[in-house]
Amino acid sequence: MARVALLAIVAALAAAPLALPPFFLQLLTEIAIAGLFATAFNLLMGYGGMVSFGHAAYFALGAYASALLVKKAGLPMLLALPAAPVLAALGALVFGVFIVRLTATYFAMLSLAFGQIVFTVIFKWKSLTGGDDGILGLWPPEWLKSPAAYYYFTVTVVALALLALRAIVDSPFGSALKAVRENPRRARYIGIDVRRHQLMAFVISGFFSGLAGGLFAFYNGSVFPDFAFFTKSFEPLVVTLLGGVGSFFGPLVGAFGFKLLEWLISREWPVYWPLVLGSVVIAVVILLPRGFVGLAGGRLWTRAARQG
Amino acid sequence: MDFITTLFPWITNGSLIMIQVMSGLSVGMFLFLVSVGMSLIFGVTRVVNLAHGSFYMVGAYMMVSLVEFLPERWWGFWLALLLAPIGVALLGGVVEVALLRRIYHRDPLMQLILTFGLILVVSTLVLLVWGPDNKSVERPEALAGSVTLFGQFFPSYYLLVLVLAPLVAVGMWMVFYRTRWGMLIRAATVDREMLGALGVNVAALYTQVFVFGSWLAGLGGALAAPTVAVALGMDSDVLVNAFVVVVVGGLGSFAGSFISAVLVGVLQSFGILIFPAISIVLLFAVMAVVLIVRPWGLLGRPEEH
Repeated sequence: MARVALLAIVAALAAAPLALPPFFLQLLTEIAIAGLFATAFNLLMGYGGMVSFGHAAYFALGAYASALLVKKAGLPMLLALPAAPVLAALGALVFGVFIVRLTATYFAMLSLAFGQIVFTVIFKWKSLTGGDDGILGLWPPEWLKSPAAYYYFTVTVVALALLALRAIVDSPFGSALKAVRENPRRARYIGIDVRRHQLMAFVISGFFSGLAGGLFAFYNGSVFPDFAFFTKSFEPLVVTLLGGVGSFFGPLVGAFGFKLLEWLISREWPVYWPLVLGSVVIAVVILLPRGFVGLAGGRLWTRAARQG
Repeated sequence: MDFITTLFPWITNGSLIMIQVMSGLSVGMFLFLVSVGMSLIFGVTRVVNLAHGSFYMVGAYMMVSLVEFLPERWWGFWLALLLAPIGVALLGGVVEVALLRRIYHRDPLMQLILTFGLILVVSTLVLLVWGPDNKSVERPEALAGSVTLFGQFFPSYYLLVLVLAPLVAVGMWMVFYRTRWGMLIRAATVDREMLGALGVNVAALYTQVFVFGSWLAGLGGALAAPTVAVALGMDSDVLVNAFVVVVVGGLGSFAGSFISAVLVGVLQSFGILIFPAISIVLLFAVMAVVLIVRPWGLLGRPEEH
C-alpha cells in the first residue's frame, strides 16, 4: 500500500511539468526546498530532542558558500552547489561543539546567539558578502534555467537527500539518537556517547540545511543577510510543528501546507500573511500539540485522554 | 605606548572617554528597563517571552499617538509617558490571561514558539494601526537641548533615563525585598509548587508579574520613542539586545540584569569607537562566551534537573 502511494507520488511529481504552469512548478520547487530544510531540522527536534533556534545560520552558510564561489571564484553552479552543505556542516561542527553541551532552553538560546553572529558577520562584512545588498545574479546554467528543468533538478536532489536522511534515521545511529532523546542518562549507562551522537546529529542537520540553502540560492537568483536572521530560523520550526514532530514525512507535509498557505494569502493580502502565520502558530501550540499529522493519526486524542 | 596612542588616538582624551562612558550608561539604562521585565517574567513563570520586544515597540507607538492626541502643553509629554506603559501593561494582561496561562505546564519550547507567533501577530497589528511610515516624538522643551559635560555636548534628554532607570531599579528592589508581594515573587522564582502548596494563588501572581513586566517594556519603549525613529523593525532589534543582556546577566536575576545592561551598554559604546565594523559581533561573542562558560549567566542560578 505504502509502495503504491509512493509510486503515485513519484509519478505525479514527474508529470507535474506537463500539467502545471511554470508558476506552480516554482511553488513546488520552493516546497521541496522548505521540506528538505525542515526535515533536516526535524532530525534534531524530532529524533534528537534538540530544538535549534538558529538554524537559519546553516541555511545561509550554504546559500552564501555557493553564491561566493560563483561570484568570487567564477565556478559554475554544479561545482559551487556541493560547497553549500560542506561549509554549513563545518559551521555546525564549530558551533555545535558548544551548543550540544547545553540542554533545552539554554540549547535554544546558544543556537540563537550563534545564528545572530552568522547574521551580523554576513551583514557587516560588506567587502565579501555585499552586506545589505546581498549577492545578485546567481543563475543556473542554460540547460537548468527553465522552471521545469530546475524543478526536476531540485526534486531529484531533495529526494536523494531525503533517502539519505531516512537511512540515517533507520540506522543504528538513528536508534541511538532516539535513545538519547528519550533518556540521556540511561543512554549513557548503556554505553552511548551522548554528546558525540548529539554533535553528529547537529552536523548532519547543518549539512542538509546548507544543501537546502544552496538550492534556494540558485532558485532565488540572489542571497541576502535575511536568510540568516532569527525570524528565518522559525520557518523550519513552524513547518515541522504544522506537519508533526513525531513523523519523518511530517515536515514535508508541513512545508506543503505552509507554502500553499503563504501563497494563497500573500497573493491577495500580503500584509496579513504574518498575522495569519502567527495566529496559526499560536492556535497549533495551544490546540494541536502534535501538529496536523498527529491529528490525522488520531494520536492527539489518546494523548489528550491520558492528560485529562 | 606610542603604538597604542597611534592605534587609539582617543585614549589620551579623558573627556571623550568620560562622555563615551556616559552614553554607554544611558544605552545600558534603556536596556535595563527592557531586559529586567523579560528576566522577571522568566524568573517567575519560566517563560522566555520573545514578544517582549514587541511590547516595547507598542509602547513607543502608543507614545507617538498619545503625544499627538494630548494638548500641546508642557504636561502633555509627561502624561503620555505615564499612560503609554499602562496601555502596554493592559495588553500584557490580556495576552497572559488569554494565551500564556494555557501553556505553563507545557514544554518550554512550545512556550517559545507561542511567543514567537505573538511577535508576528503584534507586528502586523502595529502595521495596520499605525501604517508603514516611520514616526517620531519630539522631546519635551525642557530636555530638547544638550548640556556640557566634561567639555563635551551631551543630549539632556538622556539625563532623564539616567535618572529614571536607577529610580525604577531602586523601586523594584524595595518592592522585592520590603513588601509581601515582593517576597512572594522571590519565593516563586525558587519553588513555585511549594508556594502553591502553601496556599498562595500562583496563577494570579503570574498574571501580575506578566503585567508588571509588560509595563516595564512599555516604559522602555515610551522613553526611547523621542530618541529613535519609531519604526516596525524595532521589536526584533530590541529583543535581540534585551536577550543578550538577560542571558549575560542570568535569566531571572534582577541584579544580573542591571549589571549586564550597564556592561553591554558601555561595551557597545566603546565597541563602536574601537571596532566600528564588528561591535555587534563583539556583543554576541560575549554572550556566546558567557553561555559556554556559565550557561546560567553571571548572576543566575543553574538549571534544575
